[in-house]
Amino acid sequence: MNFEVYNREICVGNIKITGVASSSMVMIGDTETIQLASAFDTPPESLIIGPFVPLAPDVTSGYVGETI
Amino acid sequence: MLGRLSKVDHINVTIMSYSSILQIGDSQIVNGFSRALAVQREAEIFYGNEGNLPDFRAIVKPIPLPPITEDITYRFHHFNPVIKVKGLDVIGVTNSSILHVGNSKDISLEARIMHIRQLLPFGHEHEMR
Repeated sequence: MNFEVYNREICVGNIKITGVASSSMVMIGDTETIQLASAFDTPPESLIIGPFVPLAPDVTSGYVGETI
Repeated sequence: MLGRLSKVDHINVTIMSYSSILQIGDSQIVNGFSRALAVQREAEIFYGNEGNLPDFRAIVKPIPLPPITEDITYRFHHFNPVIKVKGLDVIGVTNSSILHVGNSKDISLEARIMHIRQLLPFGHEHEMR
């Protein structure tokens, strides 16, 4: 595919943004490749109603791509 | 392939947190990564070493990104190579996000959030005081 772009005048007044969150991007300029990914999870069992139980302590280090 | 010039008169950012970037000027490669375990708890208790992140699927599950198979050739003709912005007001930039003024080449950002809510049974809130 051949992609040809003719850029002329571009002027923006004011930009008001409340939030830029979880791997999102606000860009003023050119770029070639953009790769944004985000994973959000709140399954039904993550809503715990009952006596308070602390979460499991941080022990294992099995992260993606981490070399031990 | 010369990029355009970005001209911003004023930038107003209130808060930036959790590996977020405010880049003014050109960049080549940007790589942001963030892992968060968000716990909303009705009781005011905090131990500090809680939360074993690899246990949660959202944190460990690889995110499938579509590969770019098509070979694209592109040509730009900048008759007026300036991007003008008068004002930029942003309240928050968080969780491996980026506010970029200028050109770049490759940008890759990833954020993973596991959200847990712990509520006390109805009518028992006073016990935790």
